[in-house]
Amino acid sequence: MNVPADARFVSRSDPKLLAGVLALGVHLAFVLLLVFGVSWQTQHPAPVMVDVWQDLPEPQPARPQLAPPKPAPPPKAEEPPPPKAPDIALEKKKAEAEHLKKLKAIEAAEEKARAEAAKAAREKLQAEQKKRDLLRQMEEDDLRRVADEEAAREANAMKQAAARAAASARQTEVSRAMGQYRDLISAKVRGNTRLPDNLKGNPEVRCLVKLLPTGEVQSVRVTRSSGNTAYDDAVVRAIEKSSPLPLPSDRDARAAFVPELSFVHRPKE
Amino acid sequence: MNPELSQDLSLLHLILNASFPVQVVMLLLLGASLMSWWFIFIKLFALKRALRVTDAFEREFWGGGDLNALYQRVAAERDGAGEMERIFEAGFREFMKLRQQAGVSVHVIIDGTRRAMRATYQRELDGLESHLSFLATVGSVSPYVGLFGTVWGIMIAFMGLSSVAQATLAQVAPGIAEALIATAMGLFAAIPAVVAYNRYTHDIDRLANRMESFMEEFSNILQRQVPKAV
Repeated sequence: MNVPADARFVSRSDPKLLAGVLALGVHLAFVLLLVFGVSWQTQHPAPVMVDVWQDLPEPQPARPQLAPPKPAPPPKAEEPPPPKAPDIALEKKKAEAEHLKKLKAIEAAEEKARAEAAKAAREKLQAEQKKRDLLRQMEEDDLRRVADEEAAREANAMKQAAARAAASARQTEVSRAMGQYRDLISAKVRGNTRLPDNLKGNPEVRCLVKLLPTGEVQSVRVTRSSGNTAYDDAVVRAIEKSSPLPLPSDRDARAAFVPELSFVHRPKE
Repeated sequence: MNPELSQDLSLLHLILNASFPVQVVMLLLLGASLMSWWFIFIKLFALKRALRVTDAFEREFWGGGDLNALYQRVAAERDGAGEMERIFEAGFREFMKLRQQAGVSVHVIIDGTRRAMRATYQRELDGLESHLSFLATVGSVSPYVGLFGTVWGIMIAFMGLSSVAQATLAQVAPGIAEALIATAMGLFAAIPAVVAYNRYTHDIDRLANRMESFMEEFSNILQRQVPKAV
Protein backbone atom coordinates (compact mmCIF):
# COMPACT_ATOMS: atom_id res chain seq x y z
CA MET A 1 0.00 0.00 0.00
CA ASN A 2 1.37 3.34 -0.82
CA VAL A 3 -0.07 5.35 2.04
CA PRO A 4 2.49 8.14 2.22
CA ALA A 5 0.92 9.96 -0.66
CA ASP A 6 -2.28 10.19 1.36
CA ALA A 7 -0.80 10.82 4.75
CA ARG A 8 1.16 13.89 3.87
CA PHE A 9 0.28 17.01 5.68
CA VAL A 10 1.24 19.96 3.68
CA SER A 11 1.99 23.00 5.71
CA ARG A 12 1.08 25.86 3.52
CA SER A 13 3.54 28.69 3.50
CA ASP A 14 1.53 31.23 5.48
CA PRO A 15 2.63 34.81 5.24
CA LYS A 16 4.16 34.54 8.67
CA LEU A 17 6.56 37.37 8.22
CA LEU A 18 3.80 39.74 7.21
CA ALA A 19 1.78 38.65 10.21
CA GLY A 20 4.72 39.29 12.50
CA VAL A 21 5.29 42.73 11.08
CA LEU A 22 1.61 43.57 11.47
CA ALA A 23 1.62 42.36 15.08
CA LEU A 24 4.60 44.55 15.85
CA GLY A 25 2.86 47.45 14.13
CA VAL A 26 -0.22 47.03 16.31
CA HIS A 27 1.88 47.17 19.46
CA LEU A 28 3.89 50.10 18.28
CA ALA A 29 0.73 52.02 17.50
CA PHE A 30 -0.65 51.22 20.93
CA VAL A 31 2.51 52.33 22.70
CA LEU A 32 2.58 55.56 20.70
CA LEU A 33 -1.03 56.16 21.61
CA LEU A 34 -0.21 55.70 25.27
CA VAL A 35 2.88 57.84 25.21
CA PHE A 36 1.46 60.73 23.25
CA GLY A 37 -2.24 60.38 23.86
CA VAL A 38 -2.20 60.19 27.63
CA SER A 39 -0.60 62.99 29.55
CA TRP A 40 1.10 61.28 32.44
CA GLN A 41 2.92 64.36 33.57
CA THR A 42 1.58 66.21 36.56
CA GLN A 43 1.67 69.77 35.41
CA HIS A 44 1.66 72.54 37.93
CA PRO A 45 -0.68 75.23 36.82
CA ALA A 46 1.23 78.42 36.46
CA PRO A 47 -0.07 81.20 38.66
CA VAL A 48 -1.65 83.83 36.58
CA MET A 49 0.28 87.06 36.61
CA VAL A 50 -1.61 90.18 35.89
CA ASP A 51 0.20 93.38 35.08
CA VAL A 52 -1.84 96.45 35.67
CA TRP A 53 -0.65 99.12 33.37
CA GLN A 54 -1.69 102.68 33.72
CA ASP A 55 -1.02 103.56 30.17
CA LEU A 56 -0.64 101.47 27.13
CA PRO A 57 2.84 101.95 25.81
CA GLU A 58 2.73 98.98 23.51
CA PRO A 59 0.44 100.10 20.73
CA GLN A 60 1.91 102.56 18.31
CA PRO A 61 0.86 105.98 19.41
CA ALA A 62 -0.86 107.75 16.63
CA ARG A 63 1.82 109.88 15.18
CA PRO A 64 0.77 113.45 15.04
CA GLN A 65 0.18 113.92 11.42
CA LEU A 66 1.98 117.12 10.98
CA ALA A 67 1.36 118.40 7.55
CA PRO A 68 4.58 119.77 6.19
CA PRO A 69 4.17 123.51 6.35
CA LYS A 70 3.48 124.89 3.03
CA PRO A 71 6.23 127.15 1.89
CA ALA A 72 5.03 130.66 1.99
CA PRO A 73 4.11 131.90 -1.44
CA PRO A 74 6.98 133.76 -2.90
CA PRO A 75 6.23 137.35 -2.37
CA LYS A 76 5.45 139.09 -5.57
CA ALA A 77 7.61 142.04 -5.81
CA GLU A 78 5.36 144.68 -7.11
CA GLU A 79 6.80 146.06 -10.21
CA PRO A 80 7.00 149.72 -9.95
CA PRO A 81 4.89 151.16 -12.68
CA PRO A 82 7.00 152.13 -15.61
CA PRO A 83 7.60 155.77 -15.72
CA LYS A 84 5.31 157.40 -18.07
CA ALA A 85 6.90 158.97 -21.01
CA PRO A 86 6.07 162.59 -21.06
CA ASP A 87 3.94 163.12 -23.99
CA ILE A 88 4.70 166.60 -24.61
CA ALA A 89 5.35 167.92 -27.97
CA LEU A 90 8.73 169.45 -28.09
CA GLU A 91 8.20 171.58 -31.10
CA LYS A 92 6.54 174.36 -29.13
CA LYS A 93 7.71 177.58 -27.85
CA LYS A 94 10.75 178.10 -25.72
CA ALA A 95 8.55 179.15 -22.90
CA GLU A 96 6.88 176.05 -23.34
CA ALA A 97 10.28 174.42 -23.43
CA GLU A 98 11.14 176.08 -20.22
CA HIS A 99 7.89 175.08 -18.79
CA LEU A 100 8.61 171.69 -20.07
CA LYS A 101 12.01 171.65 -18.47
CA LYS A 102 10.38 172.65 -15.22
CA LEU A 103 7.82 170.03 -15.68
CA LYS A 104 10.56 167.55 -16.47
CA ALA A 105 12.39 168.45 -13.38
CA ILE A 106 9.25 167.95 -11.38
CA GLU A 107 8.63 164.75 -13.10
CA ALA A 108 12.16 163.61 -12.53
CA ALA A 109 11.83 164.43 -8.89
CA GLU A 110 8.59 162.62 -8.77
CA GLU A 111 10.17 159.76 -10.59
CA LYS A 112 13.04 159.63 -8.19
CA ALA A 113 10.73 159.73 -5.23
CA ARG A 114 8.66 156.99 -6.70
CA ALA A 115 11.71 154.87 -7.44
CA GLU A 116 12.90 155.37 -3.93
CA ALA A 117 9.53 154.41 -2.56
CA ALA A 118 9.51 151.28 -4.72
CA LYS A 119 12.99 150.41 -3.64
CA ALA A 120 12.02 150.82 -0.03
CA ALA A 121 8.97 148.68 -0.58
CA ARG A 122 11.12 146.03 -2.26
CA GLU A 123 13.58 146.05 0.54
CA LYS A 124 10.84 145.78 3.06
CA LEU A 125 9.38 142.87 1.16
CA GLN A 126 12.75 141.18 0.98
CA ALA A 127 13.27 141.61 4.66
CA GLU A 128 9.87 140.19 5.30
CA GLN A 129 10.63 137.28 3.05
CA LYS A 130 13.84 136.62 4.88
CA LYS A 131 12.06 136.74 8.18
CA ARG A 132 9.42 134.37 6.94
CA ASP A 133 12.08 131.98 5.65
CA LEU A 134 13.77 132.06 8.98
CA LEU A 135 10.51 131.41 10.74
CA ARG A 136 9.72 128.51 8.49
CA GLN A 137 13.16 127.08 9.05
CA MET A 138 12.64 127.28 12.79
CA GLU A 139 9.26 125.71 12.51
CA GLU A 140 10.63 122.82 10.49
CA ASP A 141 13.43 122.31 12.93
CA ASP A 142 10.91 122.24 15.69
CA LEU A 143 8.80 119.66 13.96
CA ARG A 144 11.76 117.49 13.21
CA ARG A 145 12.84 117.63 16.78
CA VAL A 146 9.36 116.69 17.94
CA ALA A 147 9.28 113.71 15.57
CA ASP A 148 12.69 112.57 16.74
CA GLU A 149 11.61 112.78 20.32
CA GLU A 150 8.48 110.84 19.49
CA ALA A 151 10.48 108.04 17.86
CA ALA A 152 12.90 107.88 20.73
CA ARG A 153 10.07 107.70 23.22
CA GLU A 154 8.42 104.95 21.22
CA ALA A 155 11.59 102.87 21.05
CA ASN A 156 12.04 103.36 24.72
CA ALA A 157 8.52 102.22 25.47
CA MET A 158 8.96 99.18 23.32
CA LYS A 159 12.18 98.29 25.06
CA GLN A 160 10.50 98.71 28.38
CA ALA A 161 7.58 96.53 27.34
CA ALA A 162 9.93 93.78 26.18
CA ALA A 163 11.84 93.98 29.41
CA ARG A 164 8.60 93.88 31.33
CA ALA A 165 7.40 90.84 29.35
CA ALA A 166 10.67 89.01 29.99
CA ALA A 167 10.48 89.90 33.63
CA SER A 168 6.93 88.68 33.89
CA ALA A 169 7.79 85.39 32.16
CA ARG A 170 10.64 84.91 34.57
CA GLN A 171 8.31 85.84 37.41
CA THR A 172 5.82 83.23 36.25
CA GLU A 173 8.49 80.58 36.12
CA VAL A 174 9.78 81.46 39.52
CA SER A 175 6.37 81.51 41.11
CA ARG A 176 5.53 78.21 39.48
CA ALA A 177 8.64 76.66 40.97
CA MET A 178 7.80 78.25 44.27
CA GLY A 179 4.29 76.86 44.23
CA GLN A 180 5.53 73.44 43.27
CA TYR A 181 8.10 73.27 46.02
CA ARG A 182 5.70 74.74 48.55
CA ASP A 183 3.42 71.82 47.73
CA LEU A 184 6.29 69.35 47.96
CA ILE A 185 7.35 70.69 51.34
CA SER A 186 3.77 70.63 52.56
CA ALA A 187 3.36 67.05 51.42
CA LYS A 188 6.56 65.98 53.11
CA VAL A 189 5.69 67.69 56.37
CA ARG A 190 2.14 66.42 56.29
CA GLY A 191 3.45 62.91 55.83
CA ASN A 192 5.51 63.29 58.98
CA THR A 193 2.83 64.90 61.07
CA ARG A 194 1.31 62.77 63.75
CA LEU A 195 -1.94 64.46 64.59
CA PRO A 196 -2.99 64.63 68.21
CA ASP A 197 -6.19 62.82 69.02
CA ASN A 198 -8.07 65.81 70.30
CA LEU A 199 -7.66 67.85 67.16
CA LYS A 200 -10.87 69.30 65.84
CA GLY A 201 -11.45 71.07 62.58
CA ASN A 202 -8.70 72.24 60.33
CA PRO A 203 -6.73 74.72 62.39
CA GLU A 204 -3.88 76.61 60.83
CA VAL A 205 -0.39 76.94 62.24
CA ARG A 206 2.13 79.45 61.01
CA CYS A 207 5.77 78.73 61.56
CA LEU A 208 8.95 80.50 60.72
CA VAL A 209 11.50 77.95 59.57
CA LYS A 210 15.17 78.85 59.32
CA LEU A 211 16.81 76.84 56.61
CA LEU A 212 20.35 76.21 55.46
CA PRO A 213 20.97 76.43 51.73
CA THR A 214 20.99 72.65 51.61
CA GLY A 215 17.45 72.50 52.93
CA GLU A 216 18.51 71.45 56.40
CA VAL A 217 16.15 72.79 59.04
CA GLN A 218 17.97 74.97 61.57
CA SER A 219 15.16 76.09 63.76
CA VAL A 220 11.41 76.22 63.80
CA ARG A 221 9.36 78.83 65.59
CA VAL A 222 5.60 79.03 65.79
CA THR A 223 4.54 82.52 64.78
CA ARG A 224 0.83 81.95 65.06
CA SER A 225 -0.48 79.14 67.15
CA SER A 226 -3.51 77.12 66.24
CA GLY A 227 -4.68 77.27 69.84
CA ASN A 228 -3.86 73.63 70.34
CA THR A 229 -0.36 73.34 71.74
CA ALA A 230 -0.18 69.62 71.17
CA TYR A 231 -0.89 70.17 67.53
CA ASP A 232 1.61 73.06 67.32
CA ASP A 233 4.29 70.82 68.79
CA ALA A 234 3.37 68.05 66.42
CA VAL A 235 3.82 70.36 63.46
CA VAL A 236 7.17 71.63 64.74
CA ARG A 237 8.35 68.07 65.24
CA ALA A 238 7.14 67.12 61.79
CA ILE A 239 9.08 69.98 60.23
CA GLU A 240 12.21 69.00 62.10
CA LYS A 241 11.72 65.42 61.04
CA SER A 242 11.29 66.44 57.40
CA SER A 243 14.75 67.94 57.27
CA PRO A 244 16.21 68.35 54.69
CA LEU A 245 13.34 69.99 52.92
CA PRO A 246 13.19 69.89 49.15
CA LEU A 247 14.36 73.15 47.65
CA PRO A 248 14.17 74.44 44.13
CA SER A 249 17.39 74.68 42.21
CA ASP A 250 16.34 77.98 40.73
CA ARG A 251 18.14 80.76 42.54
CA ASP A 252 15.27 83.23 42.50
CA ALA A 253 12.72 80.68 43.55
CA ARG A 254 15.06 79.51 46.28
CA ALA A 255 15.19 83.01 47.67
CA ALA A 256 11.63 82.57 48.88
CA PHE A 257 12.67 79.60 50.97
CA VAL A 258 16.23 79.76 51.98
CA PRO A 259 17.12 81.99 54.82
CA GLU A 260 13.67 81.90 56.32
CA LEU A 261 10.56 80.16 55.27
CA SER A 262 7.20 81.23 56.52
CA PHE A 263 5.29 78.01 56.61
CA VAL A 264 1.56 77.57 56.90
CA HIS A 265 0.29 74.17 57.88
CA ARG A 266 -3.20 72.76 57.98
CA PRO A 267 -3.80 69.17 58.97
CA LYS A 268 -6.19 68.56 56.13
CA GLU A 269 -6.12 69.82 52.65
CA MET B 1 15.29 69.64 39.66
CA ASN B 2 16.01 66.83 42.05
CA PRO B 3 15.38 63.54 40.33
CA GLU B 4 13.72 61.90 43.31
CA LEU B 5 11.42 64.84 43.75
CA SER B 6 10.21 65.20 40.22
CA GLN B 7 6.86 63.55 39.91
CA ASP B 8 7.82 62.06 36.63
CA LEU B 9 5.04 59.70 35.71
CA SER B 10 6.00 59.04 32.14
CA LEU B 11 5.14 55.61 30.89
CA LEU B 12 8.70 54.46 30.40
CA HIS B 13 9.72 55.78 33.78
CA LEU B 14 6.89 53.91 35.46
CA ILE B 15 7.75 50.66 33.75
CA LEU B 16 11.47 50.91 34.44
CA ASN B 17 10.89 51.79 38.08
CA ALA B 18 8.47 48.97 38.76
CA SER B 19 9.49 46.23 41.13
CA PHE B 20 11.01 43.09 39.69
CA PRO B 21 7.98 40.76 39.82
CA VAL B 22 5.84 43.42 38.20
CA GLN B 23 8.43 43.84 35.48
CA VAL B 24 8.48 40.10 34.87
CA VAL B 25 4.71 40.09 34.62
CA MET B 26 4.80 42.97 32.16
CA LEU B 27 7.39 41.22 30.04
CA LEU B 28 5.34 38.06 30.05
CA LEU B 29 2.25 39.93 29.01
CA LEU B 30 4.08 41.77 26.28
CA GLY B 31 5.32 38.47 24.90
CA ALA B 32 1.84 36.95 25.10
CA SER B 33 0.35 39.96 23.37
CA LEU B 34 2.91 39.88 20.58
CA MET B 35 2.42 36.15 20.04
CA SER B 36 -1.33 36.39 20.08
CA TRP B 37 -1.35 39.21 17.56
CA TRP B 38 1.02 37.22 15.40
CA PHE B 39 -1.34 34.26 15.46
CA ILE B 40 -4.30 36.52 14.93
CA PHE B 41 -2.82 37.77 11.69
CA ILE B 42 -1.62 34.33 10.58
CA LYS B 43 -5.06 32.87 11.17
CA LEU B 44 -6.72 35.82 9.52
CA PHE B 45 -4.75 35.27 6.33
CA ALA B 46 -5.14 31.49 6.47
CA LEU B 47 -8.89 31.60 6.97
CA LYS B 48 -9.40 34.20 4.28
CA ARG B 49 -7.46 32.05 1.88
CA ALA B 50 -9.34 28.89 2.89
CA LEU B 51 -12.66 30.61 2.33
CA ARG B 52 -11.60 31.95 -1.03
CA VAL B 53 -10.21 28.61 -2.27
CA THR B 54 -13.25 26.71 -1.03
CA ASP B 55 -15.61 29.07 -2.81
CA ALA B 56 -13.65 28.67 -6.03
CA PHE B 57 -13.58 24.89 -5.73
CA GLU B 58 -17.30 24.60 -5.04
CA ARG B 59 -18.07 26.70 -8.05
CA GLU B 60 -15.86 24.51 -10.19
CA PHE B 61 -17.18 21.26 -8.74
CA TRP B 62 -20.85 22.13 -9.15
CA GLY B 63 -20.17 23.74 -12.49
CA GLY B 64 -20.59 20.30 -14.04
CA GLY B 65 -17.08 19.63 -15.24
CA ASP B 66 -15.48 16.26 -15.68
CA LEU B 67 -14.53 14.72 -12.30
CA ASN B 68 -11.47 13.02 -13.76
CA ALA B 69 -10.16 16.28 -15.17
CA LEU B 70 -10.83 18.00 -11.86
CA TYR B 71 -8.97 15.25 -10.04
CA GLN B 72 -6.00 15.59 -12.37
CA ARG B 73 -5.84 19.30 -11.79
CA VAL B 74 -6.12 19.05 -8.01
CA ALA B 75 -3.54 16.27 -7.82
CA ALA B 76 -1.15 18.36 -9.89
CA GLU B 77 -1.30 21.36 -7.58
CA ARG B 78 -1.30 19.56 -4.27
CA ASP B 79 0.57 22.17 -2.31
CA GLY B 80 -1.57 25.03 -3.45
CA ALA B 81 -4.79 23.14 -3.01
CA GLY B 82 -7.43 24.15 -0.50
CA GLU B 83 -8.93 22.04 2.26
CA MET B 84 -11.96 20.89 0.31
CA GLU B 85 -9.88 20.11 -2.74
CA ARG B 86 -7.72 17.82 -0.70
CA ILE B 87 -10.75 16.04 0.70
CA PHE B 88 -12.01 15.61 -2.81
CA GLU B 89 -8.67 14.30 -4.00
CA ALA B 90 -8.34 11.78 -1.15
CA GLY B 91 -11.87 10.50 -1.67
CA PHE B 92 -11.58 10.24 -5.43
CA ARG B 93 -8.23 8.44 -5.28
CA GLU B 94 -9.56 5.90 -2.80
CA PHE B 95 -12.64 5.44 -4.96
CA MET B 96 -10.56 4.76 -8.06
CA LYS B 97 -8.34 2.29 -6.27
CA LEU B 98 -11.23 0.36 -4.76
CA ARG B 99 -13.11 0.30 -8.04
CA GLN B 100 -10.20 -1.31 -9.82
CA GLN B 101 -10.22 -4.24 -7.40
CA ALA B 102 -12.49 -6.98 -8.58
CA GLY B 103 -15.40 -8.27 -6.52
CA VAL B 104 -15.77 -5.32 -4.20
CA SER B 105 -19.33 -4.38 -3.37
CA VAL B 106 -20.70 -0.86 -3.72
CA HIS B 107 -21.01 -0.47 0.02
CA VAL B 108 -17.42 -1.32 0.61
CA ILE B 109 -16.28 1.13 -2.06
CA ILE B 110 -18.36 3.97 -0.66
CA ASP B 111 -17.41 3.20 2.94
CA GLY B 112 -13.73 3.18 2.06
CA THR B 113 -14.07 6.45 0.18
CA ARG B 114 -15.85 8.09 3.10
CA ARG B 115 -13.22 6.93 5.56
CA ALA B 116 -10.48 8.36 3.42
CA MET B 117 -12.32 11.65 3.10
CA ARG B 118 -13.03 11.82 6.83
CA ALA B 119 -9.39 11.25 7.67
CA THR B 120 -8.35 14.10 5.40
CA TYR B 121 -11.15 16.25 6.80
CA GLN B 122 -9.94 15.70 10.36
CA ARG B 123 -6.41 16.59 9.38
CA GLU B 124 -7.48 19.73 7.57
CA LEU B 125 -9.65 20.81 10.47
CA ASP B 126 -6.76 20.26 12.79
CA GLY B 127 -4.62 22.49 10.62
CA LEU B 128 -7.28 25.18 10.58
CA GLU B 129 -7.72 25.09 14.32
CA SER B 130 -4.05 25.18 15.17
CA HIS B 131 -2.99 28.11 17.37
CA LEU B 132 -6.58 28.82 18.32
CA SER B 133 -6.02 27.26 21.71
CA PHE B 134 -3.19 29.70 22.28
CA LEU B 135 -5.53 32.60 21.62
CA ALA B 136 -8.05 31.10 24.01
CA THR B 137 -5.40 30.71 26.69
CA VAL B 138 -4.12 34.25 26.30
CA GLY B 139 -7.67 35.56 26.35
CA SER B 140 -8.57 33.85 29.56
CA VAL B 141 -5.32 33.93 31.49
CA SER B 142 -3.62 37.23 30.74
CA PRO B 143 -6.11 39.37 32.71
CA TYR B 144 -5.28 37.28 35.77
CA VAL B 145 -1.58 37.59 35.14
CA GLY B 146 -1.97 41.34 34.83
CA LEU B 147 -4.05 41.40 37.98
CA PHE B 148 -1.33 39.51 39.79
CA GLY B 149 1.20 42.12 38.75
CA THR B 150 -1.11 44.90 39.89
CA VAL B 151 -1.80 43.33 43.25
CA TRP B 152 1.88 42.81 43.79
CA GLY B 153 2.69 46.39 42.85
CA ILE B 154 0.02 47.78 45.14
CA MET B 155 1.29 45.61 47.98
CA ILE B 156 4.75 47.10 47.50
CA ALA B 157 3.30 50.59 47.37
CA PHE B 158 1.43 50.12 50.62
CA MET B 159 4.42 48.55 52.33
CA GLY B 160 6.25 51.79 51.62
CA LEU B 161 3.52 53.60 53.51
CA SER B 162 4.21 51.82 56.76
CA SER B 163 7.27 53.96 57.43
CA VAL B 164 5.45 57.27 57.34
CA ALA B 165 3.18 58.57 60.03
CA GLN B 166 0.49 60.09 57.91
CA ALA B 167 -0.25 58.69 54.53
CA THR B 168 -0.81 61.01 51.64
CA LEU B 169 -2.00 60.09 48.23
CA ALA B 170 1.25 61.33 46.71
CA GLN B 171 3.16 58.59 48.45
CA VAL B 172 1.18 55.73 46.95
CA ALA B 173 0.10 57.22 43.66
CA PRO B 174 3.21 56.35 41.62
CA GLY B 175 3.24 52.79 42.92
CA ILE B 176 -0.39 52.27 42.12
CA ALA B 177 -0.01 53.83 38.70
CA GLU B 178 2.86 51.54 37.80
CA ALA B 179 0.97 48.57 39.14
CA LEU B 180 -2.10 49.37 37.11
CA ILE B 181 -0.05 49.31 33.93
CA ALA B 182 0.20 45.54 34.41
CA THR B 183 -3.60 45.22 34.38
CA ALA B 184 -3.83 47.43 31.34
CA MET B 185 -1.33 45.26 29.52
CA GLY B 186 -3.17 42.12 30.51
CA LEU B 187 -6.41 43.50 29.14
CA PHE B 188 -4.68 44.72 26.02
CA ALA B 189 -3.44 41.19 25.39
CA ALA B 190 -6.70 39.51 26.35
CA ILE B 191 -9.36 41.50 24.54
CA PRO B 192 -8.14 41.02 20.95
CA ALA B 193 -7.33 37.39 21.67
CA VAL B 194 -10.86 36.67 22.90
CA VAL B 195 -12.47 38.54 20.01
CA ALA B 196 -10.28 36.77 17.48
CA TYR B 197 -10.85 33.38 19.08
CA ASN B 198 -14.61 33.70 18.94
CA ARG B 199 -14.56 35.00 15.40
CA TYR B 200 -12.22 32.30 14.13
CA THR B 201 -14.03 29.42 15.82
CA HIS B 202 -17.23 30.63 14.20
CA ASP B 203 -15.55 30.84 10.79
CA ILE B 204 -13.98 27.41 11.15
CA ASP B 205 -17.31 25.90 12.22
CA ARG B 206 -18.96 27.20 9.10
CA LEU B 207 -16.12 25.88 6.95
CA ALA B 208 -16.36 22.47 8.65
CA ASN B 209 -20.08 22.36 7.99
CA ARG B 210 -19.52 23.06 4.34
CA MET B 211 -16.88 20.37 4.10
CA GLU B 212 -19.10 17.78 5.77
CA SER B 213 -21.98 18.56 3.45
CA PHE B 214 -19.61 18.30 0.53
CA MET B 215 -18.43 14.89 1.71
CA GLU B 216 -21.98 13.59 1.88
CA GLU B 217 -22.90 14.97 -1.49
CA PHE B 218 -19.74 13.71 -3.10
CA SER B 219 -20.36 10.23 -1.68
CA ASN B 220 -23.78 10.26 -3.27
CA ILE B 221 -22.36 11.24 -6.61
CA LEU B 222 -19.74 8.49 -6.46
CA GLN B 223 -22.36 5.93 -5.43
CA ARG B 224 -24.36 6.81 -8.50
CA GLN B 225 -21.28 6.29 -10.65
CA VAL B 226 -20.44 2.80 -9.34
CA PRO B 227 -23.03 0.75 -11.31
CA LYS B 228 -22.04 2.49 -14.49
CA ALA B 229 -18.43 1.60 -14.06
CA VAL B 230 -18.95 -1.94 -12.86
